[in-house]
Amino acid sequence: MRIRTVRLAFLAAVIWAASSFEGYASHQLRVVATVPDLVDMVQRIGGDLVKVDGLARGTEDIHQVVMKPSFVTKLNRADAVVYLGLSIEHGFLPGLLDVARNPRLRQDPATFGCIGSGCIDVSEGVRVMEKPESLSRAQGDIHPQGNPHYNLDPEEGPRIARTIARGLSRIDPDHAADYQKNLKATLAELEPSIAEWKKMTEPLRGLKAVSFHKDVCYLGRFTGIDFVDTVELKPGVAPTPTHLEALVKEMKEHDVKLIVREQQYEPKTCEWLAQKTGARIAVIGTMANALPGTETFAKLCERNLKALLEAVGARGS
Amino acid sequence: MRGLKSLVLGAWLAVPAAGAAADAAPAVSSEERIKALEERLSRLEGAPAKSMLSQFNPAMGLAVDFAYSHGPNDRSSFLFRAAELSIEAPVDPFLKVWGVFMGNNAQVSVEEAALQTTDLPFNLTVTGGRLFASFGRLAHFHDHELPVTDRPRSLDTFIGGETQADGVEVSVLLPTDLYVNATAGLYNKLGADNTRADNAVARALDNFTYLGRLSSYLDLGDDHSVELGVDSAWTPKRSVDDNTGAGISTRKNTWRTLSGVDLTYRYHPAQGGMYRGAVWGTEVMQNDERRFDPATRLPTDRVRATAGLSYVQLKLGPHWRPGVMVDLSEDLDRARQLTQTYSGFLSYDVSEFQRLRAVYSHRMDNIPGSRGADIVSLQWTGIIGHHVHGFRDR
Repeated sequence: MRIRTVRLAFLAAVIWAASSFEGYASHQLRVVATVPDLVDMVQRIGGDLVKVDGLARGTEDIHQVVMKPSFVTKLNRADAVVYLGLSIEHGFLPGLLDVARNPRLRQDPATFGCIGSGCIDVSEGVRVMEKPESLSRAQGDIHPQGNPHYNLDPEEGPRIARTIARGLSRIDPDHAADYQKNLKATLAELEPSIAEWKKMTEPLRGLKAVSFHKDVCYLGRFTGIDFVDTVELKPGVAPTPTHLEALVKEMKEHDVKLIVREQQYEPKTCEWLAQKTGARIAVIGTMANALPGTETFAKLCERNLKALLEAVGARGS
Repeated sequence: MRGLKSLVLGAWLAVPAAGAAADAAPAVSSEERIKALEERLSRLEGAPAKSMLSQFNPAMGLAVDFAYSHGPNDRSSFLFRAAELSIEAPVDPFLKVWGVFMGNNAQVSVEEAALQTTDLPFNLTVTGGRLFASFGRLAHFHDHELPVTDRPRSLDTFIGGETQADGVEVSVLLPTDLYVNATAGLYNKLGADNTRADNAVARALDNFTYLGRLSSYLDLGDDHSVELGVDSAWTPKRSVDDNTGAGISTRKNTWRTLSGVDLTYRYHPAQGGMYRGAVWGTEVMQNDERRFDPATRLPTDRVRATAGLSYVQLKLGPHWRPGVMVDLSEDLDRARQLTQTYSGFLSYDVSEFQRLRAVYSHRMDNIPGSRGADIVSLQWTGIIGHHVHGFRDR
């Protein structure tokens, strides 16, 4: 009786496991993208040839994305992983790759990044800002390779798209022409928008501002906003009362009119600062999906730029 | 390097062939060519350095855990709980090695020193050496990673502290959409402070401890998830020498099965990542063992004792994490004797690498006449270097 039960259980397990293999029959490339911005880009460039799964939802702090076991199964079966790189995903991607057991997504022994044949690092070619001259945790939670938040610069969009197209073509050379065709269509849509946004944000040029976290240098590069300090004491270190008092003084000295709060950070400190200095608050997202109506890279860019303009009372040209 | 080659090749092709290309191929405007060159240049200039010699060094980290404890009879002390040095590096494309060395007031010891395959087919991973066996959940957390300062009594008495074991483990991740991980292990014994067997003594196959574990995970919508694990550690035979008789030594045999179930529910709202949410973890263990009377050394009856813990930890933002824990633990020899520990704890994460914690615990047992004990602990933990316990201890 007992042997029969064991046999039945074994048979049921085999049938259940076999039924779960249906995904393998698909001819689509299985791609995992770490953030919604990249999910959007991969969808555009891969079209029907790829099936994209995302990891971060967009509303989290990217440094603090929760590692779910369901991410492991996605990465285990993926042909490619597309990520922002520059160690921005350090809180979850290395840990997940370590247990994903996918030789295509092998870990870099030194950096714990991804170096397998299926790794598509879209930071390739980015002009990295704020590369640290020395590394110490006394400087806060800094990124050894430089500031990784380049996805906030709309002008990085075309480069990201090209990198993804190159990566997909490398992994799936049979469809390289399709990826190039989709890339062309994506750029045709994105590039005119960028030119329009550039013009729209003219009133922001030279404006002095502070941000909550040190993640807006690329946004500053695009808009011309001069970010003079952060609400955080150091990257990843909460503000102290002494720092906030000094920041108020600094904001008054520099005539800072704008406080940029990334939506994942608590609003109270920025509201207090605004009250003390008369500066206006703009709430931005740091990943697509961070705010309602920002499901795509382009929508996030536009929403962020409009929030900045609205905060300073400018409508853009 | 490849970019540089492309640049040279591009320039070589572009200059002499310019005239011919103008006739044969569609005209490429100089503006487009400049743009393409700029892009290549920016890739070369902008690319961060990919490697340096020091990257061959293992990743290292040190966690320092220090506490002040005020316990029964109004006695207090500062406790240098641990300085835990961890190093990790790949050996080659197929293997990685890590070691965790722990020093405290009493000793310096090797907590973990293990080798793990990284490139086996069929989603298999083999780990060997001194490792934390995959039994339960909190049992394979290092002390400073636990939600409370002191290791819960149920884990201490039933497992023997951490699930440290010298042996081999094989685990397989089923290639399915549902996360299912199966682990089988073979060890000298299970538990760092388990005194039933000696790691240094050779033994017959039926004296080893065999482990089986199955764990799974389910997303309940976007904001909720549950993880379930079931496991059993079986030691078919253990021999105990009774030398209490004058000049007579009697060998007696026993066995042990330690089984457990662990359930973890997580609430992780869309807003907040790891900063906001809640964790509810529950573990139940049953020890089924033929015990020996500590006084007479004579075999007693088979004893089934049960223990377990349940805790809730809230994440109220980047800093504050309050919680409560209940720990119930039956005596391994006298199963009706129950020790209950109720704890309240509050953690404050100064930054990602520095934490302060206060814990109040009330411990009591059901022995007539015994008095409860109140313990207050203040803990201060700091971490330097690379120190990631990774996916398993998330």
